[in-house]
Amino acid sequence: MLKRSALDPDTTMGGPHGQFPSTQLSLLEAAGSGDTLPNEALERVSALYWKPVYRFIRVKFRKNNEDAKDLTQSFFAAALQRDLFARFDPAKASFRTYLRMAVERFAASQHASASRQKRGGGVEFEPVEEYVAAAESPEEVFEREWQRQLFALALDDLRAHCEARGKQLQFEIFEAYDLADGDRPSYAELAARHGVAEAAVTNYLAWARRMLRQFVTERLRGVTAGERDLRGEMRRVWS
Amino acid sequence: MELNDAVLDHLRRVAALPDLTGTRYELESEIGRGGMGVVYAARDRQLDRRVALKVVDSALAGEARLIARLEHPGIVPIYETGTLPDGRVFYAMKLVAGARLDHYMAGAPSLGERLRVLRRIGEALSFAHARGVIHRDLKPQNVMVGGFGEIYVMDWGVEAVAGTPAFRGPDAHLDRLSDIYSLGAMLQFMLADSAPRALLAIAAKAMREDPAARYPDAPAFLADIERFQEGLGVEAWSEPIWHRLRRFTSRNAVLLWLLAAYAGVKFLLFFLKIL
Repeated sequence: MLKRSALDPDTTMGGPHGQFPSTQLSLLEAAGSGDTLPNEALERVSALYWKPVYRFIRVKFRKNNEDAKDLTQSFFAAALQRDLFARFDPAKASFRTYLRMAVERFAASQHASASRQKRGGGVEFEPVEEYVAAAESPEEVFEREWQRQLFALALDDLRAHCEARGKQLQFEIFEAYDLADGDRPSYAELAARHGVAEAAVTNYLAWARRMLRQFVTERLRGVTAGERDLRGEMRRVWS
Repeated sequence: MELNDAVLDHLRRVAALPDLTGTRYELESEIGRGGMGVVYAARDRQLDRRVALKVVDSALAGEARLIARLEHPGIVPIYETGTLPDGRVFYAMKLVAGARLDHYMAGAPSLGERLRVLRRIGEALSFAHARGVIHRDLKPQNVMVGGFGEIYVMDWGVEAVAGTPAFRGPDAHLDRLSDIYSLGAMLQFMLADSAPRALLAIAAKAMREDPAARYPDAPAFLADIERFQEGLGVEAWSEPIWHRLRRFTSRNAVLLWLLAAYAGVKFLLFFLKIL
């Protein structure tokens, strides 16, 4: 869990300079000298990667909802049993790439095994209507879902942070503007709605966005193997 | 919380925006992004002028400042560097009004103009190399041709892994010779298929797979370009004898015409004497 007390305190104009304090151990730090990752690190990995893995399996292997869920669950269980995460070598690839390739190998082997058991050996694909029209490859779907889940988790962190600090107003303004699905209200409308100055809306949004960025970084730190891996993943998110 | 694609894209964009409260700058719009960071157009409120504001990762702060110390007519001047509240580093620099080199080339400038641009790029590179800075991602998109014809090499790379495939050599480790490869690729890009063989040879030498077979540095590359412009033989190409003769006659046309005229007169006088 995040140590929320260690997070960046509210910043005023300019704010304190310097890097956001790290509150999450990287995967390698979490592994320490042991052979397996502690539960906390594994929870971070599954919190971020469960959905991307599930979507990847659905699109790549055209599994229906239940089969894809089962396969995803089996993958994480097998990964734990076989110490898959502990065998990750950051010199070869990012953890994200390593995990996707591991899923692909695992699901392909399970898929082949299931196909062999079918009478006649024919492979039956389930239609996945929701992805038929999608032009994205399974790898792109995985990447997209990874980003989606990363931001969803960081937003949860931001919301919890605001509630803990009595900053619900900041979150409400941020939610009304940056999470709006469709037309966004103007700053003036938001200011009138919440009874604050327009400049305050600008400041609250800037603050919430900065905090969101910091929570995204923290979430990434928890599932990457050191600074280099973290920087690479940050480039993937922001570029 | 389930996010749709539009909201996700919006969040990715706004959460990356630099928080400029407490600085003299006011963000206007994003004007470019690359491996090293994002560049925004901003307004300097104190001096009431527009600037380009580059925001890079905090890990790159040291090298960013090293680049900021490069003062050369071919390198965009840095006005100020600073740190954002989230730890990222920004530097404000001249906002160059002009055309990116790849767009400029679409106007089909003359060969002489192309070589002038290339030489300015090479000079900036040579200057930076002498101060221990390598570019790492030299390509037409990173060169601006200003309204007065001035050339700016931009986006000096500080990434451990960088480079754009078409302009990046096969080198596993990027160093000055990798920049020489990119410079050769730039020359090749700027030449038409019908370009003189000597120039194509210069580009090919700079782009050799083996770094040791390339020009040892930017001045050596520029010297060969200069030799070509002066009508001399270039180091990169051992030209056939007929080509050497043609170049000699072309370069010494006046002298040869005078000699021919002298020989003609002597010949005429000789016949007149006989008669």
